[in-house]
Amino acid sequence: MRNGHADEIAKLIEPGRVHRRVYTDPDVFELEMERIFGRAWLFVGHTSQVPEPGDFITTDLGRQPVIMVRHRDGSVQVLINRCTHRGAKVLNERRGHAARLTCCYHGWSFDTDGRLITVPVPEGCAEGFDKDAFGLARAPRVGEYRGFVFASLAPKGASFEDHIGPVKGNIDDLVDRAPDGTLALDAGMHRYAYNGNWKLQVENVLDSYHVPFGHASTVNKDGVQFARREGDRKGATVVETEKKQTAASWMDRKSFIAGNGHGWTSNTSLDDGKRSSPAFDEYKKVLAEKVGAEQAGQILTPRLHNSLIYPNMSIMGLNIHVRVIKPIAVDRTEVTIYPIRLVGAPAAMNSGNIRLLNVTHSAASFVQTDDLESFVRAQKGLRSHMTDWVDISRGLGAEEPDRDINATRGLATHEMVIRAQYNAWLGYMGGTA
Amino acid sequence: MATGGLSRAAFEEFLIHEARLLDERRFRDWMALFADDGTYWVPAVPDQQSPFDQASLFYDDRDLMKTRIERLEHPRIHVQTPPSRTAHLIGNVAVENADEAKGEYVVGSTVIMVEHRDDQQRVFAGRQRHRLRHDGASFRIAQKRVDLINCDAAFEAMAVPI
Repeated sequence: MRNGHADEIAKLIEPGRVHRRVYTDPDVFELEMERIFGRAWLFVGHTSQVPEPGDFITTDLGRQPVIMVRHRDGSVQVLINRCTHRGAKVLNERRGHAARLTCCYHGWSFDTDGRLITVPVPEGCAEGFDKDAFGLARAPRVGEYRGFVFASLAPKGASFEDHIGPVKGNIDDLVDRAPDGTLALDAGMHRYAYNGNWKLQVENVLDSYHVPFGHASTVNKDGVQFARREGDRKGATVVETEKKQTAASWMDRKSFIAGNGHGWTSNTSLDDGKRSSPAFDEYKKVLAEKVGAEQAGQILTPRLHNSLIYPNMSIMGLNIHVRVIKPIAVDRTEVTIYPIRLVGAPAAMNSGNIRLLNVTHSAASFVQTDDLESFVRAQKGLRSHMTDWVDISRGLGAEEPDRDINATRGLATHEMVIRAQYNAWLGYMGGTA
Repeated sequence: MATGGLSRAAFEEFLIHEARLLDERRFRDWMALFADDGTYWVPAVPDQQSPFDQASLFYDDRDLMKTRIERLEHPRIHVQTPPSRTAHLIGNVAVENADEAKGEYVVGSTVIMVEHRDDQQRVFAGRQRHRLRHDGASFRIAQKRVDLINCDAAFEAMAVPI
């Protein structure tokens, strides 16, 4: 991978299989940072994280440190967190509030729209020094949909609308569950890391094939997992123990793709008639009061299980959360998980979600820990050059159009969604995205 | 501080006993130290006020603790193949608060846990606070809270309690 020529990249992806180098080759990773994370629309944060002017969060887009900050005019700005003087990271807190963004090193101070306001000891400035030319760099393009803020580090490319269009409904699916029609990502975060490639996590979020095996330790002798949602009496049946096979609820689950590497799985029923607790019952009542019984009924009918907005985020509809995937190195990845508060829902309902997310997706959870082990072992196994190819052929040729929703449908235990991710990958990496 | 005739050593011995159960992977015996309404809490941010409106690394009541331990005993828990080995060190034990009428005591201590698993060794350290109920012969844990100094870091998988 000396030059990243398109023909060399194209050799890494074949129908139903990908070369191990996409996970292990540092040169491929460098190209991904430039061509995927330097071009694609990436999830940055949610407007609820910066409600007031001066509120900010810091994060990374690929390896670019950024600030998402609310400006006085109400706009959300995505600025590069790098002083234009000598290069220091300006804000070092993960979140906070600042009237001005002031660099620790020589005190250069920027407005919340990135404009350079103050240069201490100005008499030392070179003749003709133009403060206006020294504002913080910014993400060239920023887009927002229902509070979800995305940015592209490339001035040109597919529009935000073109990128997000096929998965707007997935965002609606979640936001509509909030009686007040809006979400809050204000319940802290889970952070975990693993010694493995970032795509191992991306591929995993829509993979229903692994559940009975990867998560065997969460399934009891009756084939049932622990309860994962507020109001659930018990968890999902994962294995039909009499037949000794994956339960029909998993075998029948569908997955969908609609371009750009995005994908999703369905269906998860919010109200199967058995789900009940004081908090959940109260939530149903409040939802019906706010949006009307008919609309509430629709919201509570089967919803999406999990959605991937390629390349760096997913929305989980079961243990509701937003997941952000951050590549660190070819064999190192960090993931942040934000619990979601449904604004307008009873506090006990949101609290139940937050508590159950601790046991499904914290670094110390029952579920995520076994996934992390699988990612680490994949990275170790992929060191072997005795077998070069990774198989992603399940369901190849079995995809079918779903004209009702303008998508392509397969089974969630198939690998169609992963193949779609590599189609998008190739598009970005080959320079055609 | 009046502690109902209980010496500091009595509290310290209990904490050492608890740590030993964890190091010996006697998780069911460990759980039995907790009161029926007992909770085990490892916050995800410093000075976290509540486990109900913010994410936590652990916040288990007895039911969740039981599920966690059943999983730790499961033969196919991949993240414990091979299992973790741990060594806890408990020090700086001090009774911080005593409610003689209820027989409830808050005991602070410092914990260092070294974990070895699959050729990797790592260190967890922090301040822990036990709310203990004296039940005549010994104590039951009403709450164990562990504030790790790196509680808001990105962790690799944590399978066993601190």
